[in-house]
Amino acid sequence: MSAHATTNEFALRLRPDSADLFLRADAHLLCKWVVRQRARLIWFCIALIIIGSGIYGATMGIWREPLQALYTGIKLPLVILLTTCGNGLLNGMLAPLLGLQVGFRQSFVLVLISFALASLILAAFSPVALFLVWNTPPLNGTTRLSSPEYGFLQLTLAGFIAAAGIIGNVRLLPLLRGWTNSYAIARRVLFVWLATNLFLGSQIAWVLRPFIWDPAGKTRFIGTEYFRGSFYETVFEATRRLIIKHEQNF
Amino acid sequence: MNELNPTAGPIPPTIATPPRLSKPVPLGEDPADREPITGPLTAVEAVLRAPRRIMYQLRQPGSGQLILEMLLVSLVCSLIYGLVVGTFSMGPQLLAAPVKIAGGLLVSALICLPSLYIFTCLSGSEARLSEIFGLVAGLLMLMTILLIGFAPVAWLFSQSTESVVWMGVLHLVFWFIATMFGLKFLDAGFSHSKARSSAGLYTWVIIFILVAVQMTTALRPIVGKSDTFFPTQKKFFLSHWGDSLNAPARPAGQ
Repeated sequence: MSAHATTNEFALRLRPDSADLFLRADAHLLCKWVVRQRARLIWFCIALIIIGSGIYGATMGIWREPLQALYTGIKLPLVILLTTCGNGLLNGMLAPLLGLQVGFRQSFVLVLISFALASLILAAFSPVALFLVWNTPPLNGTTRLSSPEYGFLQLTLAGFIAAAGIIGNVRLLPLLRGWTNSYAIARRVLFVWLATNLFLGSQIAWVLRPFIWDPAGKTRFIGTEYFRGSFYETVFEATRRLIIKHEQNF
Repeated sequence: MNELNPTAGPIPPTIATPPRLSKPVPLGEDPADREPITGPLTAVEAVLRAPRRIMYQLRQPGSGQLILEMLLVSLVCSLIYGLVVGTFSMGPQLLAAPVKIAGGLLVSALICLPSLYIFTCLSGSEARLSEIFGLVAGLLMLMTILLIGFAPVAWLFSQSTESVVWMGVLHLVFWFIATMFGLKFLDAGFSHSKARSSAGLYTWVIIFILVAVQMTTALRPIVGKSDTFFPTQKKFFLSHWGDSLNAPARPAGQ
């Protein structure tokens, strides 16, 4: 509270170097930004997403080659922005139905804030990810899809994204709490937004694959089979094959 | 939050807890309930943010205009969602799917309307037929505008997959979520009708879901392609689902 009193008008101004204030995700300050500086906040979040997740994307892609780094650096922010836009209408409808009285634009900004926070966290993870990429044997005859090193790389990079996403969303909870009197409503809305964004985001990422390596061919912005199958079908099929194989072995 | 906001300006609104069936706040007691609904867009906003406005207006004379507007919105939204469904198979399905979805939804509601009225009367409700009709129109409107919210997701999946079963399941899940919110609206409206029990309404909900699901089988194919507009063979929906799951994977055009 006292911190707010001392920063008051200065803190209210959202500036390009306000990332530290943004990262603290102070509910009161973010609320003021959402209500009074919405347009500025939207551009600020978009910039953070492009820079933050772009850096992490480039780190992912550099394992293969610089061109893949460029492509993944573009695609990762694209996944986030397309997910936010694709679910904007749905999230805006679901919020009031679940008891959170926010408008379409406000719900859009709130989701954007969580993604921007996640992107900043991803940017912070990038040096660690780069160290991991640097330590992973390069793509050559000895590194295959089934290589444990490649599996570890995939899992760790995906784990960083999951961690950043969870932290970004959890940091949004106090802000949602500021809009409603009920913690239960804030949690419910957050969970539903998380579920819808995860559902669409996974498929958009599937369409825009590969992010690390396409073993089928040379480096492309989007793989040749971009609209073939869905993420969930593939997971379902893989699980089914695994169960059938396990039953046969048993 | 207000204490930190020394200057006047828009602040995040605080919301009231929604009334429960056991002790609902009477409609019209809050001045916000009495705000007029001036057109279809206002009706859409009201059903999402302030459904009590719709429930109150349905009890006023001349509620027919509002009911018509809600039906119109439902029709337009279901046609748009149908178009998205049709993009999976393209060709004639671009026309067939919107017609089948919009028609199926309205016919399902119409078929179930008399039973809802009877059940509400049996429950001791004082709601008039026009009010019940209006609540069902509100249910349809909320369902279909939620389906519009799901439309971008549905479109992306329909362009990605070739599995009819997968798309069918996805559309059913979206329809089910939208229906749950619609039924919640109906339940809230029903709680103001001085009914002694909700058992009749819950029975009707089961009937409505069964009718709507059977309608998808009666009007098949909605997702895939067919040579005829209507099916040539009668089937129960469980049998149709079983057949679809056991059928070999077919691409969208077959």
